[in-house]
Amino acid sequence: MDSISRRGFTEKALKGGGALAVLTVLALPEKAMANKMKFSLKNERFLNRNDLSDALKSLYTTYDSTAPYPHKFNETITKAVLSALDFCIPLGIEKDYVDHYITTMAPVFKGIKLSVEKDGPEKALRGLFEETTTSYQLFERINVKPGERSFPCPYKGKLDDCKEWIGKYNGTFKYEWKDVCNKWCVPAWNGAAKEIGVKLEIIPGEECRVKLA
Amino acid sequence: MNIYINDNKSVSRRSFTKKALGIGFLSSLAVMNLPGSADAWLDEKIMERDDLADGIKELIKTYDTTSPYPVKFYDGLVRVHLRNLDFAVKKGLHKEHADHYSSTLAPMIEKYVKNAIPIMGKDIFLWANFERTSCSYQLYEHIDIKENERSVPCPFKGILEYQNSTVGTYSIKWGDVCNKWCIPVWENFANMVQLKIKVEPGETCRITLV
Repeated sequence: MDSISRRGFTEKALKGGGALAVLTVLALPEKAMANKMKFSLKNERFLNRNDLSDALKSLYTTYDSTAPYPHKFNETITKAVLSALDFCIPLGIEKDYVDHYITTMAPVFKGIKLSVEKDGPEKALRGLFEETTTSYQLFERINVKPGERSFPCPYKGKLDDCKEWIGKYNGTFKYEWKDVCNKWCVPAWNGAAKEIGVKLEIIPGEECRVKLA
Repeated sequence: MNIYINDNKSVSRRSFTKKALGIGFLSSLAVMNLPGSADAWLDEKIMERDDLADGIKELIKTYDTTSPYPVKFYDGLVRVHLRNLDFAVKKGLHKEHADHYSSTLAPMIEKYVKNAIPIMGKDIFLWANFERTSCSYQLYEHIDIKENERSVPCPFKGILEYQNSTVGTYSIKWGDVCNKWCIPVWENFANMVQLKIKVEPGETCRITLV
């Protein structure tokens, strides 16, 4: 948060200004501080949201659901992807599903490519992972290292849940975890990387690692 | 503690149990025999979670994103649903896509909802379909609850319009989301338990049991 404490403000004022500046600040201490604080709150995006109560309720309802397994924010988005794969794989159209993703995201990848050309390949990983809103929910956390991202696979446990709670009753979700890696994540990221103009090395696992190659 | 929190009406865990027990001893026994139905609700164990920090960070990351529009919890999920639907429509498989999604959830509906309707009344179908399912915790920012009726702000419209006006690679329009996804899926669910629903799509979408 862009805020400033009373002590920090005084320190900054004393460090940055000369005697006259300090005198000026001391002459208007409360006003100056109040203005700064008002300014910082006014510009604080998160605090100015008027839908935070809905967000808190969503947090509560999600994390208070612990049976039959603990729900997380990636619960629903993960299920939507797994359900799509369950639809595509038996029909043999999973490659088309990946191609559709790459084609429909092409303008976005083009934008990332421009920033890679300007600022370097790290921008590719930022654009594919931590800077996309889908990943806010999909990846519980992302470990960021230069040239590398790693995150807990959101699909493994959820596919097991789908098999246990749904598949065993109606024969759906017959595919395996490696299919999620090999028929979705890996080709989708590699396809995106090609559009962006970089190469990736992907090491799937419970902690999936994606590196610039 | 509320099973679902709503500005107008809420059903507490206690009042829900009361309602269930009020139907009669045999009915309450039947409810108890619905395997897993009770323990699948909110269970007041949030304070025992050791991953709350991750949840709170996700909340802040999501709601700190206000440009180009204020991002909400449903953003990622809605984008995946829209992408899936656009793919299915382009393939001419939207009916199969909606039917597949409904059929994956059929075991839950058969097992829990169908058995509960004779005991608790048909409103339990809407309860199960909307406020009870974990998909709704993120998808619907809030749900207005009336007996035999639910209304929800459409989570798809704004994001699809933004997507179509900026990226412009989807062929689907908002009406496709209503007619090729939401309505057929909900109608499939209703058919599974021999109920009929009326859906009035809109920025606030209304679903009524008929």
